[in-house]
Amino acid sequence: MKQPIVLLLAAVVLLPFVVRPAIASEIWIFAIFGLGLNLLLGYTGLLSFGQSTFFGSAAYVAGWLLKHYGINTLLALGIGIGVGAASAAVVGYLCVQRSGLYFIMLTFALNQLFYFTAYQWTSVTGGEDGMPGVPRPAMLGIDFKDPLIYYAFVSALFLITLFLMKRIVESPLGKILQAIRENEVRAEAVGYNAPRFKLLAFVIGGAFSGLAGVLYAMLFGIVPLEAISFVFSGNVVFATLIGGSGSLYGPVIGSFVFIWLSESMSTVWARWPLLLGVAFVIVVLFLRGGVVEAWHKVSLRFFK
Amino acid sequence: MLYALMGLGLSLITGILNIPNFAHGALFAVGAYLLATVAVAIGNFWIALVVAPIGVALLGLAIEYAGIRRLYAAGHDYQLLFTFGLALILSEAIILIWGPIGYSHLPPDILRGGMDLGFTMYPKYRLFLMVAAGLLVVATWLFLEKTRYGAIMRAGIENKEMVSLLGIDIHKLFTVAFALGAYLAGIAGALTAPIRGLNPGMGVDMLGIAFVVVALGGLGNLLGAIAAGLIIGVAQALVAAYWTEASTVVIYAVMAAILLVRPQGLFGIR
Repeated sequence: MKQPIVLLLAAVVLLPFVVRPAIASEIWIFAIFGLGLNLLLGYTGLLSFGQSTFFGSAAYVAGWLLKHYGINTLLALGIGIGVGAASAAVVGYLCVQRSGLYFIMLTFALNQLFYFTAYQWTSVTGGEDGMPGVPRPAMLGIDFKDPLIYYAFVSALFLITLFLMKRIVESPLGKILQAIRENEVRAEAVGYNAPRFKLLAFVIGGAFSGLAGVLYAMLFGIVPLEAISFVFSGNVVFATLIGGSGSLYGPVIGSFVFIWLSESMSTVWARWPLLLGVAFVIVVLFLRGGVVEAWHKVSLRFFK
Repeated sequence: MLYALMGLGLSLITGILNIPNFAHGALFAVGAYLLATVAVAIGNFWIALVVAPIGVALLGLAIEYAGIRRLYAAGHDYQLLFTFGLALILSEAIILIWGPIGYSHLPPDILRGGMDLGFTMYPKYRLFLMVAAGLLVVATWLFLEKTRYGAIMRAGIENKEMVSLLGIDIHKLFTVAFALGAYLAGIAGALTAPIRGLNPGMGVDMLGIAFVVVALGGLGNLLGAIAAGLIIGVAQALVAAYWTEASTVVIYAVMAAILLVRPQGLFGIR
């Protein structure tokens, strides 16, 4: 399994030469976000449609502290991770008690709770206009205002996330989560407290979402209301699914495809979500299994 | 009552078809816009009120037939993605056709103004809305409880294999259920248009509420949907009177509070 890592490192180095550094950063930030979701969706079998709750909450809290109290970057990231994990603990506690369709609807409904709170609390969040003026303070004498340097920072964090996630899914904890995905009743019978492990998966996924949220706020200097809306939740589910959930690199490839797709579509037409919707429908009807699986099929046909 | 109507439609769809219908809010919005368009085009509110929901039901029929039918074997994740994609397409299509700015659509002349109820003045249209929504909920309930096809539908919620073993075309049942759910969403949208006006975001707001109603009332549980719809509506109205900004948040806060005490929902068993 050395090959994917080499490919990935090459992609990290080459990407800023192909697209603007801001978009390159966005791709890896979205990949961190997707990796967090994938722990739930791919490895635990929990379809959370409310990931932007953690992403957005972390972005707002850390962004607000960065803006008004001038905290340093590391502290902001730490707080973001904490907020992401804490909000995921609250949402997860309510959601893991139900399963199937109820679970999906609950994650969405609680996402709406956070969304409307942010929407109405204009004095802090700026409501519909978003919260602008999030700074990107220097750290250890390194000036993050240069987009390329910030890109290097983001991609380093992305690689750390990927490494951690690899360790998590291969650890006993990861195996337990996969056992719950495969057969929850059996996992319970063997003696694992399934709701508690699901909640743990929520908290870990939320922490990564929080990290992604803060990085996103610092990248664009603004926390848009969108960052906590169900649209973001849907996007990350889509990105993970087109990449192929249940594989470690799925969300990475997915966010790559998704950001590239949405960036190129948004420059063409203001009503690009329409095209995005069409893309969703096409993928579901014809390309189920995602890019990773499609690639497997193609490579089986041509390289064997 | 409006919330109960929305929840009822969604409850039917999710209960019978076992899919998360994220396009339910978009169907609601389409109902509202269709009403406004037809009412302006032919100048008669009542005909529009009949025609618009039927249009939405036909749209639902087409959606089920062309897409959702192929997805029953797929996981919830793909069903979700599909309906979410549909919701995006529909809401963007609304912006393309009717423009991004919301506008208000006034109720017909005879329903304008207030009515003296003895103790308070109440807008006539709101009264009409309550009665109409109430009648629709009762009619749906009667259909499901008292007619043969309604019984088949309820059986479909309980046990799909058994229903198809008894020689009933389950796919036809699915199509009818989806169309009926779409019809209820459409008529809810059409009834709302004169008081809340029209804007492209109205579908999403309603979608969240419909989910709350179903999560509290239980999938396929009609009385549960009605009760949850009423609780949510009353809670929202009470809070709106004192603290307008929080009136949307309170819907979800009430849901979270109820679920803390009763994780299985108000009447839920699963």
